[in-house]
Amino acid sequence: MPFFMLIFRNLLRQRIRTLLTALGISLGITTVVALGVVTHSLKATAEDILHAGGADFAIGQSGSADLSFSTLTEEQLEDVAAYPEVDHAIGVLMAFSRAGSNPYFVQLGIEPADLEHFDVPLLEGRYLALGASNEILLGQEGASQLGKELGDTVELKDRTFTVVGIYRTGNVWEDGGAMLPLATVQEYERKDGLFTLIYVKARPGTDLDELTARIEEAHPELATLRTISDYGDVDQGIEIMDAANLAISFLAVFIGGIGVMNTMVMAVMERTREFGILRAVGWRQRRVLQMVLGESILLCLIGAVVGSILAVIFTRAILIFPVVRSFLDPEYTPEVFIRGLVVGVAVALLGALYPAIRAVRLSPIQAIRYE
Amino acid sequence: MNRNRIVIDIQDVVKTYEEGRIHALNGATLQIREGEFVAITGPSGCGKSTLIHLIAALDRPDSGRIAVNGVDLARMGDLSRYRAREVGLVFQLHNLLPTLSAAANVQVPMYEAELSFWDRRAKAQRLLEAVGLGDRASTPPTKLSGGERQRVAIALALANDPPLLLADEPTGNLDSKAGEMVLDLLRSIQRERGVTLVLVTHDLRIAGSAERIVRMLDGRVVDAGVTSTEAGP
Repeated sequence: MPFFMLIFRNLLRQRIRTLLTALGISLGITTVVALGVVTHSLKATAEDILHAGGADFAIGQSGSADLSFSTLTEEQLEDVAAYPEVDHAIGVLMAFSRAGSNPYFVQLGIEPADLEHFDVPLLEGRYLALGASNEILLGQEGASQLGKELGDTVELKDRTFTVVGIYRTGNVWEDGGAMLPLATVQEYERKDGLFTLIYVKARPGTDLDELTARIEEAHPELATLRTISDYGDVDQGIEIMDAANLAISFLAVFIGGIGVMNTMVMAVMERTREFGILRAVGWRQRRVLQMVLGESILLCLIGAVVGSILAVIFTRAILIFPVVRSFLDPEYTPEVFIRGLVVGVAVALLGALYPAIRAVRLSPIQAIRYE
Repeated sequence: MNRNRIVIDIQDVVKTYEEGRIHALNGATLQIREGEFVAITGPSGCGKSTLIHLIAALDRPDSGRIAVNGVDLARMGDLSRYRAREVGLVFQLHNLLPTLSAAANVQVPMYEAELSFWDRRAKAQRLLEAVGLGDRASTPPTKLSGGERQRVAIALALANDPPLLLADEPTGNLDSKAGEMVLDLLRSIQRERGVTLVLVTHDLRIAGSAERIVRMLDGRVVDAGVTSTEAGP
């Protein structure tokens, strides 16, 4: 029998205990992997926000606790637009309000004239008309959630808007929401002359590092946002989620480790005489160690695989909520599953350490006499 | 095989338990030659099992010296290797793993012998056939009779072809017929393989089948006996 099979057979001795322990581990791994998927996907969404409309970078208010709190002025927009390397600077105002069953329906206020410079591929209809105040462009997912088609009307903030176009950018955040005339959004948000973000398209050949550095130097109150690492300058949400993810991973390792230790200690205690026999027939301490650690690692790997499958099921299941679909398009990258695996192995090693040492230190003769 | 060569040399061995309150061995001295079949007898508590455990390096003496093939066990770095390669052990209560088949049990010591999976399997089958259990290879110990279990234990003890076979009351838990069968098997293995067989028993009838009978009392060897060759015609 291969050594691996011997380890596997040992786990099958107490099937219920093995099953319950693996299940306990898998729940921890589910949390770690699911949170990893959600965090990664939200980062991807956040990165998409920074490059909405095909912008090279976005500009927000430095130090904002949340992106939606970012407040920029027309003067700042004009200053940015005045840089010779800037081809277009487009100010947008973000708003959130209930629409249908989605309590956080994203509304992007944008000058209709700017839409020709803001890459918004229309699936049907047309862009917002210049001067129109009651027209709306719906993202494909937003239209689907609201059950609206071209020519229908949408109620937002006690106003009625006519759907004049439906677009699809591939950005889950944009596609789940709508675009409206900037002046209308500024009016119902009572933010006249204010923006949330400025999207910048630079002229071809521009050194973006140099340009963003100059903008930030001249305007310390502005944060230029090109990558997800810049995102923390205007929104601590992602950083908080990263920290929570790390904390939960440690917690999963600790709690899982206690569970595995309990199982492995019981397994070693029950098999004390057997370990004595193995030592008596010449098994080295290292092989006993390999067997105990092997059992623990195999147990945790089973938990990691089951946990990862549950995490995929869970992250697909939460998409039934429209609000989640507006912000989240789950991305299953190898990193999140590797993290689950690493947590599983860490749990296995932590949990097996004490029982393995105990098994290795058994005196063969005392173990054989053990009843 | 040199039947005059001393393979086990036990000199003045002392072993106590419970912080010196129980004296299991109290200056035991004994020599055993290569290929000999020695029976160690004595009343319960005389130290015969302790002596065999010390020879098997399952435990260490408090004082005195045990040398196997001229090497002091106390100076031996890797006792696991010694137990795996030099010694085969058969206990009164068979030491088989209940969840494994007979063949898988016989393979257990072979994991340390760096044999391939196929070699381990073939050798285990050969050993089981040698003890008359070739057709019970896939049967777990729980479904074997006491005598069959002890024969599997003997096959397990021979897994790594040890030159030294130590049996501690191997028939103690068997009826007389099964006990006789196990004893015959041990005797034939000793003769055919030329292994040195040290058998601990309190049963003088079983001891009588050995080439030499060693008598112990109160932790000492009181009569080292003589082998048939030493006794002369």
